[in-house]
Amino acid sequence: MTTTWPYLDVHQSRTHEPTPYESKLAATLEEVFTKDGHELTDVVRGLNARQVHAPDGAQWTEESFRAEMNRLGA
Amino acid sequence: MTLSVKDTAAAVKDTADHIYATGLRNQWHPVVPSSFVAPGAMRKVTALGEQWLLFRRSDGTLSMLADRCPHRGAPLSLGKHLGDRVACWYHGVEVETDGTVSSVPGLPGCNLEGKKLVTSLPVREIGGAVLAYFGDERHPEPAELTLPEPLTDPEVDAILCYAEWNGPWRFAVENLLDPMHGAFLHHESHTMYDGDTTAKFRIRETDRGYFFEKTDQRGVNFDWVELCRTGVDWVDLTIPYPPSAGPGGPFGIVGMVCPVDENRTGVFFWRYRRVQGWQRDTWRFLYKTLIEERHWQVLEQDRVMLEAMPADADQRENLYQHDLGVVRLRRMYRAEAEAQARAAQPAVSAPGPVPASAS
Repeated sequence: MTTTWPYLDVHQSRTHEPTPYESKLAATLEEVFTKDGHELTDVVRGLNARQVHAPDGAQWTEESFRAEMNRLGA
Repeated sequence: MTLSVKDTAAAVKDTADHIYATGLRNQWHPVVPSSFVAPGAMRKVTALGEQWLLFRRSDGTLSMLADRCPHRGAPLSLGKHLGDRVACWYHGVEVETDGTVSSVPGLPGCNLEGKKLVTSLPVREIGGAVLAYFGDERHPEPAELTLPEPLTDPEVDAILCYAEWNGPWRFAVENLLDPMHGAFLHHESHTMYDGDTTAKFRIRETDRGYFFEKTDQRGVNFDWVELCRTGVDWVDLTIPYPPSAGPGGPFGIVGMVCPVDENRTGVFFWRYRRVQGWQRDTWRFLYKTLIEERHWQVLEQDRVMLEAMPADADQRENLYQHDLGVVRLRRMYRAEAEAQARAAQPAVSAPGPVPASAS
């Protein structure tokens, strides 16, 4: 932890630099929220339609999306 | 020699000026993020113009001591963490976390031992920040503290952003009581690009402070702010998110300010949102990955502007209707600083004996 003044840290909530997968997923989520809607079904459909898949390459389901967001966002 | 009325007034004013410049006493203020003091570590901090030592035991218990050895005044922050006490580097004097001298190694049995000679401030940790109570000599017991609801409501998720700015603490609070700057200073931002650039404002009293709000627009830009005085001073406000931020509606900010000294300020912004479950997790993921940096750019616009303000900015102004919230804030703080200064100087109205050397 730095002790020099001033403390000006852009990223205070991250534990690591986003991986390419995380960056792509976040950018796509923003697009889905903007164009497709805010419901969980919209999100799952939107991600799958854009072929941005879960880490194992599978299509997203509501369950797998919830689990992945819990892993990445908690 | 006796103090003239003019000298007396000047002395009071100077003290009120000092309080106004370095932060009101007899209330809680944020100090630094909790993460700045790891378990088993110490950290020197400046707050309200004075030097302090944050001391955390390995079990996480935090204490805050004046950074001054009671022996010769050396900074305790240069000393050694002994688990439940600190040993001054200069002569080894050991001080417990409540400010009591536990040992004078060079002179065992010295009459300093067992005396509480170091100021120790009450501390609380909330939402990832250290809050401390800064009482004056007449008010050592901590004021009642009611925490901001967004930081205690389990339905709300909050993420702290902390930054250090070179400027008076008052400018940072005034900036928050000035919603109209959002439509101009932050016009190019991801959240405050929309809405009218003209507005009428009103002050609405509450039992803990006041709202300063637009009368003709809400939910579009930075349209209202509530100043809350609940033992600690904080503001509450909300700003709409664009659809890209997903479900959960607008985000809010709980803002607090640490008067570091006359020219430096620590700002604490908790961005909060009423989200649970996958919506919460998704917001946090987007926040960490993309949104935090955009929020930071907005905060930097504030920092650049406030740090560029001349020190006498509030002495040479031409205010208009949008500044009612700021004017109200200044009057309140100024009156309180003067009251605290008067209360601290009972000798002014009833001078004591004059030392022979001064006559």
